[in-house]
Amino acid sequence: MEKREVLFRIKRFNPKKDEKPYYREYRLTVPKGMTVLEALQQIKDTQDPTLAFRAFCRSAICGSCAVKVNGFPKLACKTQVFNELDKFGTDTLTLEPLDNMEVIRDLIVDWDRPLKRMEEMKPYLVPDPEVVPRTLDEESRVYPNELKKFDSFTDCILCTSCFSSCTATQLDENYGGPFQLARVYRFAVDPRDALKAERSKIGYAFDMWNCVRCNRCADVCPKHVSPVDGIMKLRGLSIEVGLKDNPGARHVMAFYKSLLESGMLNEVLLPLRTKGIKGVLENLPVGIKMILKGKAHSPVMKPIAEHETLIKVMKAAMEVE
Amino acid sequence: MLQFDILIVGAGGAGLYAALETSRRKGLSVAVLSKVYPTRSHTGAAQGGINAALGNVAPDSPEKHAYDTVKGSDFLADQDAVELMCEMAPKIIREMEHMGLPFSRLRDGRIAQRPFGGASFPRTCYAADKTGHVMLQTLYEQCLKNGVRFLNEWFLLSIVHNGERVSGVVAMDLRSGEIHGIRAKAVILATGGHARVYWNRTSNALGNTGDGTAAVLRAGLPLKDMEFVQFHPTGLRRTGILVTEGARGEGGYLINSKGERFMKRYAPEKMELAPRDMVSRAIETEILEGRGFKDDEGNEFVYLDLRHLGRKKILERLPQIRELAIDFEGVDPIEEPIPVRPTAHYSMGGIDADKLGRTPIKGLYAAGECACISVHGANRLGGNSLLDIVVFGKLSGEDAVNYVSETGFAPFDESEIKREEERIDSLFSSDGKEKLADLRSELSDVMSYGAGIFREEKRMKEALEKVREIKERAKHLKVYDGERTFNTNLQQTLEFLNLVDIAETIVLPAIERKESRGAHYRTDYPKRDDENFLKHSIVERGEDGELRLSWKPVVITKYQPEERKY
Repeated sequence: MEKREVLFRIKRFNPKKDEKPYYREYRLTVPKGMTVLEALQQIKDTQDPTLAFRAFCRSAICGSCAVKVNGFPKLACKTQVFNELDKFGTDTLTLEPLDNMEVIRDLIVDWDRPLKRMEEMKPYLVPDPEVVPRTLDEESRVYPNELKKFDSFTDCILCTSCFSSCTATQLDENYGGPFQLARVYRFAVDPRDALKAERSKIGYAFDMWNCVRCNRCADVCPKHVSPVDGIMKLRGLSIEVGLKDNPGARHVMAFYKSLLESGMLNEVLLPLRTKGIKGVLENLPVGIKMILKGKAHSPVMKPIAEHETLIKVMKAAMEVE
Repeated sequence: MLQFDILIVGAGGAGLYAALETSRRKGLSVAVLSKVYPTRSHTGAAQGGINAALGNVAPDSPEKHAYDTVKGSDFLADQDAVELMCEMAPKIIREMEHMGLPFSRLRDGRIAQRPFGGASFPRTCYAADKTGHVMLQTLYEQCLKNGVRFLNEWFLLSIVHNGERVSGVVAMDLRSGEIHGIRAKAVILATGGHARVYWNRTSNALGNTGDGTAAVLRAGLPLKDMEFVQFHPTGLRRTGILVTEGARGEGGYLINSKGERFMKRYAPEKMELAPRDMVSRAIETEILEGRGFKDDEGNEFVYLDLRHLGRKKILERLPQIRELAIDFEGVDPIEEPIPVRPTAHYSMGGIDADKLGRTPIKGLYAAGECACISVHGANRLGGNSLLDIVVFGKLSGEDAVNYVSETGFAPFDESEIKREEERIDSLFSSDGKEKLADLRSELSDVMSYGAGIFREEKRMKEALEKVREIKERAKHLKVYDGERTFNTNLQQTLEFLNLVDIAETIVLPAIERKESRGAHYRTDYPKRDDENFLKHSIVERGEDGELRLSWKPVVITKYQPEERKY
């Protein structure tokens, strides 16, 4: 069977003892099929019992063992060493703790902050008495197409991979976080829930408009959940429940209006429609440069060819949603 | 000292349901202590579903469910407890449904049900193949709603009692490494199973090390039916990771190297949906008789073939199984059959408890896989474990609430804390002549050899000797990591010591049970012997450290023992 000599560079840190984090290197003969978690355990068993990492189910359902492998969050238990080596064209794997959380020791991070945040966002069903029967003699009816709207979001295993790679989380203390906001959406579209679209107000309060749609949360999710999709839809719900008078909603509405008018994005009017005069002033230096370089278009735009068809497509899309 | 009216140890389905039940009573102080964050618990790994006679797909009744369960148990289950569980099943399913659990649905919006092993009707409610996961998440959400207090990443060390009443526990906060006494009027153990005894081939999480069960044994209290360990028929070839019975429930075939659906020789009527003990023996027999497959690493296996189910059904009903097969075996079940072999899975035996979870010590309860009520007897049916944990989690929570409202705190003997501190200190200063990984692997090999799927006297006696030898050698295990913060070297050592304690309690009654019943199959006594062994085994550890074996009658209400045919 194929075996390879692999160098593992593992980031170590015990805040109780070490001044700063450092890397330690371990060499291991790895057979084909061995996972990163098995490699970690083998290093612990044969070379260094002090290495600290979390692991539990080792079948990709408990979310304990997420670590960064060559910079990307992965569940150690389902990540094969050879696959990563081949992907990066290397014989070295660097293992580090997840970002955006404090390190407790080595690869173990503090989950309390992201979980506390979720806890503040009502992550539970509030039963709608119109839908959920009052007695235990009956079940609520949930049709398969209704389940489909939120089913994928129930795959979340709280591994915090998305949280660790979220750019909005890095910059905004008040930001709800990807898996947390996705769970808000999950309940907002559950027909059994009493709060329904009103839940988008929770998303609003937790700065959901600060998501920059970098898509990293979806890219790194080991369960193929796309938190960013949930966040986008939650934004839509917030507009439906009347949270329109804010830069985020106005920005979306400005896009929508532009498309209705001409089928093109009207970048000249966009700052005005999103942030009013303040937006115009803020964008003035860039705007002037654009005009000077001949990059700016007229505020009045001619509709594109087949604009009618585009409008039909947009309407159909709205109906589907 | 930390102090609670009720302390729940373990945050899987049983622990969380107990917590929910207690949180409904205002003014009680309750905490859930768990060595992992709640949603990591092994309930989340349950895939296929939970049984309840809803009758949504075919007419069904709690009586039929009870009969199937008793028959599946090879008549060792206590029938009053089984009847209670099956009677409560439809309501508790609806209760969780009302909490938001995302069950898969029929076209008319009602909860869908699928066929499962040993069941006369499609009775298993499910959420694709992630039923345990969504159940755990839903219960956790409801606990957050009710403001349940969690002590996350705390490790149970011992149970403190005065021979009559429970006083609390001693536990270690893994993050700080500090050892604490925790006083409680009632303690509910919901610490899960112990199939990690079979370390090298099991579906269990790394932490299913029977911590509560071992603590109960060390506290001098009885364990029941420990010889019964279920081997799930379909673990992945290399890792033993679970492939749900739902895969066969949806119509999957088991195929040997002759291309035959070999179950026709073992259970002509039920075929692949015979109970797990029978299917596991059938697979092992095929392999023993040379009709299995062998890969170049030497792994032997048979195939679980899902290809005829078609892409759509596999993606819709078994998406997680597909991912696991791709990630861990490099096989896409849509294109190729999955290589499988039995894997140590479920502990039918456990802490001796009655149908409200009560142990012989007042205020000490056990619920879920760590407990033996017993509703599974000698062999558990698929879909009955998720049901067991929620029903008996709920009932023990309820009973504990009533109990603590009429009672005060029992005195807490603080020397127990010192004793645990000393036990742990000695691990740091031992001579280190033995290595944890080696002993763990040896124990696993010994148990598979002596107390695996096929058993016989000579091998079991050898295994008992060997387990006792490993127990002696384990005194030389050393913890090399000298830090207090998150010392996983210490934790893994303590977990292994629990496994060693438990291993002995499996082999001893297995030797004495001179019959074959359910998962306990003896080649030297291949028949069930109701005359001599229709009874529960009880193992206790005496003051001298020796195990004592006794027996207890089975509760029979209306289902008289009969031959088990499928």
